[in-house]
Amino acid sequence: MSGTTTAPPVADAPPARRLRGPALARMRDLALVPAIIVLVLVGALIDPVFLSSANIINVLQQQTELSLLVLAEAIILIGGRFDLSLESTVGLAPALAVALVIPAASNGLGTEWSSALAIPICLLVGVLIGAFNGVLILRFGLSAFIVTLGMLIVLRGLQIGITGGQNLFELPSSVLYLGNAQWFGLPASIWICGILFAIGIAVLGWFRHGRAVYAIGGNRDAARAAGIRADRVIFVVFIVGGLLAALAGLLMTGRLGSVASAQGSGMIFTVFAAAVIGGVSMEGGKGTLFGALCGVIVLGLINNILTLAGVSAQWIQAIYGLIILVALMLARVTTGKAQD
Amino acid sequence: MMLKRRAVVSVAVVAAFAAATAGCNSSDPASSGGSGTGTGDAKPPIAVDLPRADSDFWNSYAKYIPQYAKESDINLMTPTNSQNDIAKLVANAQALTAQGAKAIVMAPQDTGAIATTLTMLESKKIPVVSVDTRPDKGKVFMVVRADNRAYGQKACEFLGEKLGGKGKVIEFQGSLSSVNGRDRSEAFAECMKTKFPGITIFEEPTEWEGAKASAALQTRLAQHPDIKGIYMQAGGVFLAPTLQLLKSKNLLVPPTDPKHIFIVSNDGIPQEFEAIRKGEIDATVSQPADLYAKYALFYAKAAVEGKTFTPGPTDHDSTIIDVGNGVLEDQLPAPLVTKDNVDDASLWGNQIGK
Repeated sequence: MSGTTTAPPVADAPPARRLRGPALARMRDLALVPAIIVLVLVGALIDPVFLSSANIINVLQQQTELSLLVLAEAIILIGGRFDLSLESTVGLAPALAVALVIPAASNGLGTEWSSALAIPICLLVGVLIGAFNGVLILRFGLSAFIVTLGMLIVLRGLQIGITGGQNLFELPSSVLYLGNAQWFGLPASIWICGILFAIGIAVLGWFRHGRAVYAIGGNRDAARAAGIRADRVIFVVFIVGGLLAALAGLLMTGRLGSVASAQGSGMIFTVFAAAVIGGVSMEGGKGTLFGALCGVIVLGLINNILTLAGVSAQWIQAIYGLIILVALMLARVTTGKAQD
Repeated sequence: MMLKRRAVVSVAVVAAFAAATAGCNSSDPASSGGSGTGTGDAKPPIAVDLPRADSDFWNSYAKYIPQYAKESDINLMTPTNSQNDIAKLVANAQALTAQGAKAIVMAPQDTGAIATTLTMLESKKIPVVSVDTRPDKGKVFMVVRADNRAYGQKACEFLGEKLGGKGKVIEFQGSLSSVNGRDRSEAFAECMKTKFPGITIFEEPTEWEGAKASAALQTRLAQHPDIKGIYMQAGGVFLAPTLQLLKSKNLLVPPTDPKHIFIVSNDGIPQEFEAIRKGEIDATVSQPADLYAKYALFYAKAAVEGKTFTPGPTDHDSTIIDVGNGVLEDQLPAPLVTKDNVDDASLWGNQIGK
């Protein structure tokens, strides 16, 4: 309710949904908590190392890139749209930034710009990709699914074209920094993700533009009738999505010490899995970022437990999928709400 | 290109696409032959399909192809690229056939799904040389491939000796759905079991993804801080993530330090050699990209000329073996590279980028 003193019609539209909204949303929010508790118990039983702070930090750090993509995708899904191209942005943005600053001998483009520019370029590429998606979808009215599917292929192709299919190994130290640095005893990437999720939750929960995303995702025409500039808000959402994907790429590049030509490839399935498990609706207008974050943590814990338990390579995918289904069922039983 | 497209209307789209993708890859003007254009000789055109454009190894292979084609005086058609997609490979094979290829060199990464295409090519009497992988079914003239079981074997022997037959080793497996990943994993496990039963192995499935390997290593190191050896089945994808992680844990120390973790890799890319020189990793098995290209073309040419081969040792330090169903496989040698021979100029990893 705060911060909505200006523009009364805008303030009026969301509350109609919000009356039922928060209670339901909070249930969805906490739906995965029982599943997380069970996973933690199972993990502790399998190997005492699981509960050590080093291992927990590892799990969180390994999920940071995924969590940023899920943050981006969750906002876009809540706004009633799609973005499949995020996974290619994870590869292209850092690849282009790095290729522009490293010498040609290390597979760079030979421009050898100052390495201080690498991070700004990387983020700028993300913004531009998001803006381009936004223009195609909103201005030209193309299907978000197909546009971003096309972009997924184009961006990956651009990365392979620019780098000649090579992995980029010789990275400037600025690019490596964020993926490796420790701030106050925790990896910097965990802090970054934590802060960004906190901002996201606050904006979508209590701020006018954030609530507008829910309104647009729930019923675009009603939102417009209520005076929300739907296209402008969603355009910004796409840009934020691209920016977050580029940041995720930067973190991954730093953590893995190279830009692989397939970096991020196939991640989008996990991103959707995490978001949907976390209660974000594919239909738009429903779900919370906290729920999405829980989805990310569930997937991270499952991965970690499977590694610790030493599940054989042939069976790991089957068991991974099965556990996800069980987690969903657990959420269904504990909340008593039908999922959509 | 326009002429060709007009001539082969039925496959116009496919051919144009194939040529366009190939155009991005072939930088050597010598590769732009095409079927019977200009050069005025009656040499039968030989086609090459490259499996992918996103790995250091295959990019090197792609560079060697036109070079060896020129050396052996082969009428090479513009190589196509199937981008790790079996459907594109099938389309490319059809397009190349329509363009008049007399032999096709391919590297089917999905070794099962290529069978019908091989049958189609056999019915048209077009011999096929399969590089790097052995099709599960279907007739090929020759399989040119390094002995991938030897990779696992060599890695196991090296690690076993360095560790003195005891300790813990983590293994980044490739994809078990690929014959090469399977061969390496099986040979490594078998050798460890028989020769070094005192060593504990943690097998980590990675699907050839660096991020998965990094996460597995990080988790395992928290669980077992006394891991002393790493076997990675592909340097191209696992090298940088592994080194980065060890560096952040202060475990990247010279072999003389007792904290040193012994690392054996597979592939033989220049970055691995650099890491060996620095003492960051200890050995790699060099997969011979140059020999792949050379002997793929050699056998393709021989097939067109009607030569035949029988199992047994060859003149280039390799052995042709009969792998069943009358399929012959030339198993090229893949040398183990350590600090002692890393500067050997004959290794392909030392020849590129220079």
